[in-house]
Amino acid sequence: MNILETKGLYHDFNRLEVLFDVNLKVKEGERHAIIGPNGAGKTTLFNVITGTYAPSRGGVFFKGDEVTGAKPHRMVRLGMGRSFQITSTFNRLTAFQNIRMGVLSRRGIRFNFFRKVDKMGDITRETDEILKRINLYGERDLPASALSYGKHRSLEISMALATDPDMVMLDEPTAGMSKDETHYAVELIRRLTEGKTAVIIEHDMDVVFSLADHITVLHLGTILASGPPDKIRKNKAVKDAYLGEMEG
Amino acid sequence: MDATTAMYVAQGIHGLAYGMVLFLVASGLTLIFGMMGILNVAHTAFFMLSAYFCYQVVAWTGSFWLALLMAPIATAIVGVLVERFLLRRIHALGLLFELTLTIGVMFVIMEAVKVFWGTENLPLPVPLLLEGLVQIGGMEYPVYRLFIIGLSLAVLGFLAFILYKTRMGMVVRAAVSDADMVNALGINVPRLFMFVFGVGTWLAGLAGVAIAPILTVFPGLADQMGMDAFIVVIVGGFGSLGGALMVAIISGLLSSYGVQFVSQLAPVLMFIFMAVVLAIKPTGFFGEREG
Amino acid sequence: MNRRVKGIVWGVILVILALYPWLFGIYFTNVIVTCAIFALFAVSYNLLLGYTGLFSFGHAMFFGAGGYATALALTHIEGCPLLVALLFGFLGAVALALLLSPIVARLAHSAFAMLHLAFSMLMYTLALKLRGITGGEDGIGGFPIPPFRIPGVVSVDMTDPLNFYYFAMAVLGGSLWVAWFLTKTPFGQIIVSVRDNAKRVDYMGFKVPQTKAIIYTLSCGFAGIAGSIYAMFQDLISAASFGIAQSFAPIVMTMVGGVISFFGPIWGAVIFAVIEELTTRYTERVQLVEGLILIIVILFFPGGFIHLAAIVKGKWLGFIRGQWFGSIKGKWFGKQ
Repeated sequence: MNILETKGLYHDFNRLEVLFDVNLKVKEGERHAIIGPNGAGKTTLFNVITGTYAPSRGGVFFKGDEVTGAKPHRMVRLGMGRSFQITSTFNRLTAFQNIRMGVLSRRGIRFNFFRKVDKMGDITRETDEILKRINLYGERDLPASALSYGKHRSLEISMALATDPDMVMLDEPTAGMSKDETHYAVELIRRLTEGKTAVIIEHDMDVVFSLADHITVLHLGTILASGPPDKIRKNKAVKDAYLGEMEG
Repeated sequence: MDATTAMYVAQGIHGLAYGMVLFLVASGLTLIFGMMGILNVAHTAFFMLSAYFCYQVVAWTGSFWLALLMAPIATAIVGVLVERFLLRRIHALGLLFELTLTIGVMFVIMEAVKVFWGTENLPLPVPLLLEGLVQIGGMEYPVYRLFIIGLSLAVLGFLAFILYKTRMGMVVRAAVSDADMVNALGINVPRLFMFVFGVGTWLAGLAGVAIAPILTVFPGLADQMGMDAFIVVIVGGFGSLGGALMVAIISGLLSSYGVQFVSQLAPVLMFIFMAVVLAIKPTGFFGEREG
Repeated sequence: MNRRVKGIVWGVILVILALYPWLFGIYFTNVIVTCAIFALFAVSYNLLLGYTGLFSFGHAMFFGAGGYATALALTHIEGCPLLVALLFGFLGAVALALLLSPIVARLAHSAFAMLHLAFSMLMYTLALKLRGITGGEDGIGGFPIPPFRIPGVVSVDMTDPLNFYYFAMAVLGGSLWVAWFLTKTPFGQIIVSVRDNAKRVDYMGFKVPQTKAIIYTLSCGFAGIAGSIYAMFQDLISAASFGIAQSFAPIVMTMVGGVISFFGPIWGAVIFAVIEELTTRYTERVQLVEGLILIIVILFFPGGFIHLAAIVKGKWLGFIRGQWFGSIKGKWFGKQ
């Protein structure tokens, strides 16, 4: 089943066309990479799918239902998570508090005025579990802004997963990372997205080829090619568009 | 020309004069906000401080013209000192703290003038040269008000020239748009900030001297002008001089005519207008800076 | 501070407050009531500023709304009970907040600040102009202060400053406790997250505008309670309660006491009360001292008194830096 599908998606910013007839198909459970040169429209595609803004034309379908234009909080409640290219965490809150927000959301605890949140034992336990799994338990009580870059990015990715979504959208998760950090991040992503669907925008081809089951190439706002890694690697049009970046 | 028209015209001149003074104050405020993002709450206190400086210079030397020259400069110096030694130190903390600091500065200035000059109204005579009325085309106009309008227009022209025709002005305009970018281009942004803050304060100072003979010099000057100046900046758009000019003139005329005809409603209308503008377009009429 | 010590400290404070009128006399009893009123007012303000990141330049209008609602109720409703009058004050402020919340919930920061300035000035002007209802410049005064009455059980005369003291402290203290508890709940976590990164809150499945609307309404309600007690305490409410000076008060109290903590604004109210009492003995220029202190605080310990206390205690200053000032740049009125 296609967990995510876009049909005839167009988007423009004040006449500047950024997405052009995008028909993306993401199968449930696969790790789907979206690659393409800068300015190809990858982040815009994410924004349109996750609800940052509604597309100018076309439809977005999640789990078979139409969700075109649905706001982010609704998409999250339907089972989607998203991480950002530029780290977007709650900088003044601790790593623990950051992750806890995801746990609270997943459990539907929102407008609760009646209990002290620190006293909610099972919330605390679950949050600590997640922190241990992403190896941030040691930094539990540090404010997010005090984390090293790599750990901060880990937090960023984990927050996308903290609501336990069925599908997670990661926008350049390894952006700005060193070789070691990247390696670590890839293992983390592999582990955390086990049994889930992951859609990942990436520039690092090593990451793409080690993680992805399926690759979609976006160029000038439209899909140039889409298929398993081997096919894409051999695709001439893709090679031309990317000009050697494929060698990683 | 009959008496009613004469009255309308007189109202108009008064309103225009007040509007131009309002513009001078607002222009300084909007420049400072536009470039540094600081809502300088103390701005109108500087305006008032200059009026007091003017009074003092006149008391010492008897010359209004000397006061017109010196008081705004003295006020600008105070402003530069505040920027350099107070504001700049906490710039990294962000706008909330800068704003709070300016509240503190405002408190200090407003009380300090009472300490040095007492709490009564200090009258300031209009200089001999600018007293009385002048006949133009069968109508009599108050000379001093015309002077204010002329002076303000001259300053406006000078400002526009600097901003749009000189390299320095271009840098200032760029910094108003995006201070970080200008920094990246190698311009000494802290010095630029200090300069703009000084100029902005100087403009407020000039307005203070201009209005002093009309309103007299008293501690409540800041309050009276303050609200209006902020409204002008907000409605006209943060960082927009053109917007400030337009709104200031309308505001001056409105209160002048308004006082005559719609006295009860004038302040209410102004606020409703501002609230509506902000609700619809949160950056004000002309403002671009995302607030 | 561990729990035991905390418990003892609170115990001592409560005992002192209970015996206060006898320890310090009527004059200082009145001083502390005023201080407590402003403490609640400032705390309500900090729920918006320090906790949600919303800067308002017109919080006075909710204080004034509460005051006027109570005054009007006591003036026009025959035999209006004490608690009903208080309720009117709370509801008056809440009504105003509900009226404004659809507009303000989605505004950019400086627009939020300025709009509140505009509306509070509007309220001020209306209070002056609508003499028939509001008494104009003189305000509404001399309304009956009803006794605290439980029918058939007890009736306590509230015109006696001693009795009013206990009533006021109970109401204000209770409200402060409720506000404090609120910050400890899951909802409290959401609002500080909104402060730090509203976009991310959206992306974690929470509705941001509704969240803002709720905390906004609650904060304004608390301000209304403060205004209501104030009106009853003074037996007078005037347009000055809507004025810009009244809007400045919670801002400066919060910043001097410490925007970084729940108790900061309370400390701020206390500090300002102390300044006022000490300074008026020597000069009328109280605001000069307040201004200087404000400048010194912002320059040297921006987190206010709480910050200073932390430095003195040798607490990990880095924590405060990282938590509060590390990423504060451009947050208010800026890029978010």
